[in-house]
Amino acid sequence: MKLTVKVIGSLIETAGFSEKEFDVPAGTTVGGLTALLTIDRTRPVIITRNGHAAADGDEVASGDRVVVSPVYSGG
Amino acid sequence: MKGWIGRILRIDLTSKTFKAESFSEEFAHTWVGGRGFAAKILYDELAPGIDPLGPSNKFIVALGPLSGIPAPNTGKALVAAKSPSTGGYGDGNLGTRVALQLRKAGYDALIVEGKADTPTMLVIEDDQVGFLPADAVWGKGTYDTNDWIYATYGEGVGVLNIGQAGENMVRYAVVRSLEGRAGGRTGMGAVMGSKMLKAIVVKGTKPIPQADPEGMKAVGLRDLREVHRIDKESGWSIQSTNAVLSWCNEVAALPVRNFRKTSHPDAWKVDGERLNAARVATYGCPNCTMHCGIAMHDDEGRVSELDYENVALLGPNLEIFDLGQVASLNYLCDDYGLDTMSTGCVLSFYADAIDHGDTSGDFAFGDASAAKVLMGMIARREGIGDLLANGALAAARTFGRGSEAYAMQIKGLEMAAYNCKYIPGQALALGVSPIGAHHKEAWIITFELKETSRDSYGPEKAQKIIDLQRIRGGLFECVVSCRFPWIENGWGIEHYPHYFKLSTGLDWTLDDFWTVSDRVYALLKLFWLREHPQTDRTSDFPPAVWFDPANADTEGPIAGRHLDYDKYDGLLQHYYDLRGYDRRGIPTRDTLHRLGLSAEAVSAEEFGLLR
Repeated sequence: MKLTVKVIGSLIETAGFSEKEFDVPAGTTVGGLTALLTIDRTRPVIITRNGHAAADGDEVASGDRVVVSPVYSGG
Repeated sequence: MKGWIGRILRIDLTSKTFKAESFSEEFAHTWVGGRGFAAKILYDELAPGIDPLGPSNKFIVALGPLSGIPAPNTGKALVAAKSPSTGGYGDGNLGTRVALQLRKAGYDALIVEGKADTPTMLVIEDDQVGFLPADAVWGKGTYDTNDWIYATYGEGVGVLNIGQAGENMVRYAVVRSLEGRAGGRTGMGAVMGSKMLKAIVVKGTKPIPQADPEGMKAVGLRDLREVHRIDKESGWSIQSTNAVLSWCNEVAALPVRNFRKTSHPDAWKVDGERLNAARVATYGCPNCTMHCGIAMHDDEGRVSELDYENVALLGPNLEIFDLGQVASLNYLCDDYGLDTMSTGCVLSFYADAIDHGDTSGDFAFGDASAAKVLMGMIARREGIGDLLANGALAAARTFGRGSEAYAMQIKGLEMAAYNCKYIPGQALALGVSPIGAHHKEAWIITFELKETSRDSYGPEKAQKIIDLQRIRGGLFECVVSCRFPWIENGWGIEHYPHYFKLSTGLDWTLDDFWTVSDRVYALLKLFWLREHPQTDRTSDFPPAVWFDPANADTEGPIAGRHLDYDKYDGLLQHYYDLRGYDRRGIPTRDTLHRLGLSAEAVSAEEFGLLR
């Protein structure tokens, strides 16, 4: 199933992209997705799915927009 | 006394006199410095009800026990006065060599009183103060003024200056320093202008007293290197604070079209990635190793330093998605000495009011050229600019027709760049900020999304705001150090009591700092009450439009959602209860006594104000 992944800020360099469409197997979780895409999680991140906070165990769905961002604190 | 010099320089512009005054160890330990010093001085010395743009107001530059010493990010100064934006206490901090030079000149703070009869520049060199004519730069922008000062006094001096906006007392004029630094969006530049004070130049040669200077140097330099290393991997220097723009757009928190919308498909055109790609220079403050200021060429080839707040409010909030044009708007604000955030909100309000037929005018969302013209009119107080120079709330009260509902401000200060249409906790954080709708006191949006629920109006959010106010608005504003290493690089808060000990010799815990912070916040509330005796809890509410179902998003993650008035009121009450404030949001007598403010409570009682 196809979905869009966007990474933000300092994560772009390690991910190698900022926004891209991916084809992933059904049943893929948020955590599985970030591992599959080798997104750096050595520092805290906040992941949203269609604008809502998502947990690692949440399953993604076709057409989702998943955003992985460093945890910002508002400058 | 180590850590503090123990002296304040008091300058009277009317009589062209100055004197150094000593302060006690008890004063230092009670108020620490920075915001603490400024709040106490202004509360004690200003008569209630004075005109913030009259000669009775006092302009303060306050430093702290970490200012200028070799610890991470200690090159900042706090400027404060009674605010012409809010009528309450106002302050702001900015990166400047004044932090180092004023301490080396032998002072922890500067109080400027009275009013000069001609444009004046103060030149402080150790124990001497010169009152020099500023005719050569009066009427000029901040870039030319800064260049003239550097050419005259050398580039190592500390400089605070204002542009035309400050000279003409635009109520959201800022103080400027270095290439892109600005502070005091509560109208501190207007207060300087009201005194005909164009610039302050400082040069000092004395050592700063520290309890353990060798230890401080070793630890400070080590930690400056470590903060630099962390920042290179994950910090602000990569995309500046503008990295957060994309995220706000994704979670429906971006101000678009005077905060009417929370996201926009073209937001990517002005995001951190695009800014980083356009970078031509990187700027930072003194004693900083995580330079967050990314500069690019604007559409006229000028170098403009951008961050999230000014991009969001001069870009998407005005529906301008051309980064070069946004950079140009930002450059003009910086040169005129206008606050970028308030200017963005005032212009977006004006466009919205025209769009809704609540006033007439020749300006619309998306019109960068007209925005540039309006900025000049505001800075010079020409035509409609004269009204807009008084801020969005003042303009709304003139336009009438219910337009105050969408004037995006709290207490008279325009909104920081976070659209809290459905982010209750952050709406409260902006609501209870003591200087108006600014984000420096507390920012809890990721906490709301990740650790609790966006739907919650529970006490956990009120407590989180207090926790952050103690750190951000308390500790960092009083020791006077940049909060960014802690905020975004994860630099442990426990480092700061250690730096404080190396500077002062005092073995304080974080709880000791929280007590000082709570004391300062309580005093700022007393200041507000004294200036606004009829105040009530509605002064801590955001604009009505955020509660309006008709303003809810029609698509996206918060479609159909808006703040609930009664639930917000309940959340506010949680905050008051946790703080020990009454139903007006004023500290109770017991709270004031517990915080060591019994004497200040007595003075408030003289006005019959406490309950």
